[in-house]
Amino acid sequence: SQASSVIKVPRNFRLLEELEEGQKGVGDGTVSWGLEDDEDIMLTRWTGMIIGPPRTIYENRMYSLKVECGPRYPESPPFVRFVTKINLNGVHNSNGVVDTRAVAALAKWQNSYSIRVVLQELRRLMMCKENMKLPQPPEGQVFSN
Amino acid sequence: MEDNGGEDPVNNNNDTTVSSEGSIIKVTVKTPKDKEEIAISEDASVTQFKEEISRRFKAKQDQLVLIFAGKILKDGDSLNQHGIKDGLTVHLVIKTAHKAGDGASSSTSCTSQVGSSSGSSSGPSSAAHSSTVGSTGGPASAPPQTPNILTGFGDLSSLSSMGMGSANFMELQQQMQSQLMSNPEMLSQIMENPLVQNMMSNPDLMRQMIVANPQMQQLMERNPEISHMLNNPELMRQTMELARNPAMMQEMMRNQDRALSNLESIPGGYNALRRMYTDIQEPMFSAARDQFGNNPFSALGGNSDGGVQPSRTENREPLPNPWGPPSSTNPSEGGGGTGTTGSSTTGSTNPSVSNPLGVNSASLGNGMFSSPGMQSLMQQISENPQLMQNMLSAPYMRSMMQSLAQNPDMASQNPASSPSAGTNPAQQLMMQQMLQMFAGGNASSQTPEVQFQQQLEQLGAMGFINREANLQALIATGGDVNAAIERLLGSQPS
Repeated sequence: SQASSVIKVPRNFRLLEELEEGQKGVGDGTVSWGLEDDEDIMLTRWTGMIIGPPRTIYENRMYSLKVECGPRYPESPPFVRFVTKINLNGVHNSNGVVDTRAVAALAKWQNSYSIRVVLQELRRLMMCKENMKLPQPPEGQVFSN
Repeated sequence: MEDNGGEDPVNNNNDTTVSSEGSIIKVTVKTPKDKEEIAISEDASVTQFKEEISRRFKAKQDQLVLIFAGKILKDGDSLNQHGIKDGLTVHLVIKTAHKAGDGASSSTSCTSQVGSSSGSSSGPSSAAHSSTVGSTGGPASAPPQTPNILTGFGDLSSLSSMGMGSANFMELQQQMQSQLMSNPEMLSQIMENPLVQNMMSNPDLMRQMIVANPQMQQLMERNPEISHMLNNPELMRQTMELARNPAMMQEMMRNQDRALSNLESIPGGYNALRRMYTDIQEPMFSAARDQFGNNPFSALGGNSDGGVQPSRTENREPLPNPWGPPSSTNPSEGGGGTGTTGSSTTGSTNPSVSNPLGVNSASLGNGMFSSPGMQSLMQQISENPQLMQNMLSAPYMRSMMQSLAQNPDMASQNPASSPSAGTNPAQQLMMQQMLQMFAGGNASSQTPEVQFQQQLEQLGAMGFINREANLQALIATGGDVNAAIERLLGSQPS
């Protein structure tokens, strides 16, 4: 992990905090996140879940994601990719990888952001006019990767 | 669907969800609209958990989808294996077979890669899904489920699914405010919503709303002029027109300024102006002044104190950045004679026909928000000055402004925190106070410490020893102890 200066919170502390928040359901209940493997000491691999927002074509679907927090997190943004197939601007059609430049929270990442922020941002993207009516693959499909 | 009681040597009794042997844990089950605490044996299976949930939420078991820490809980799993322990929160999504008119996100479809027990109903629901895509745009009337204040507001009911489905109005308002702060488009969407506009064009309704605010009531008692103004429907309607149309408001204000300056030159006109000022504006400001030594609006209005004359500044240019350094303003200008030009950010706050409360939204930026803490908070909004204008124009904002005037804390903190600008707690306290103001007009004129005395004690008794954090949490939640606890437990400022 990084050398922590006075101001920056060490990576693992941050991730533990996020773990706890995920378990306590901090937020509005439309996204959820947690460690992919409870034994992951490095707290690197996370799973996320986004509940598709209503009044959009994503409504009633639940999207599973993989979030990877690298060694420089939270100074660097995490890698995010969708597991559940989705047609959304900014998400590669082939493998579900989220384009860092397309998501504001990732493009303008700040170390105060968190996994939750990213998930909520993705959910917000689903509600944008340009996305909310995109035709979607049938449910239950996953990206092959 | 087997229980895993066998795996746990300690617990032998597994038939019901509440077993006498295994310890009971309390798990919070949270939907976007609702929240329940469910007691269940810690060794229970997901199925058993769902049984209990289906009872509590009055939904069929196969309609329930549970998510914990980003994973969907399958019936065959146990709570243990997912690490679900006492005090943690599990997310629940309730699928409903048909979704007509059900804009709220409590319904869902079948799960994705996990073939859970809901797989059986995947057939009909995905068929229903395609038909509902058409109907999601559908009925403007409310989903019947939520006792949510925004139901019945057509598009606004989607706000409820943004996590605002709380029965507590203050919490709702607060959430709304924080949503507004983070998403400027939302406000313009709200304003554009014809229903909101309709509501705002009904002077009676608006008057009721304004009058219902205890702050306003106090103010009205002290200054009958104000109630006079409020009772004049024509006036109200004009004000609301302006509120609805911020561009128009700017225009109006500018026209007013020009008209005023023209008036000056008419013999006797100056006196008329002066009269208008003393009749209307002064009582209002002196009412505010009563509360405390210095008048916080003096910095804002630039003219109220001492100066009997209305501000001479003409608002000739586009409203400048209200959060720029509070440079050119105030008392010196206000006292100035006729024809002083050079528009300052404080502009003219004359109450006029178009703007009875004399609120110049641009000017409000100045005195109150000169502290860097507040500035950083407002950065988002300042990127979109229109938003601020919109926000301030909303009628309930006006009553909030009144209450702002009456809250001595804001005033005393303002000069106090400027020198000590760096202190985080002070900034945060102010920010949270501000938020709380937004959240519905703190009715008390005491400091939050005094006001939340009782709640603070409660929190202390429960073991939250960090008084500062407790106070902040209470402020943010408006004195709601339970919400404050959640805040303290769940989130840390980052």
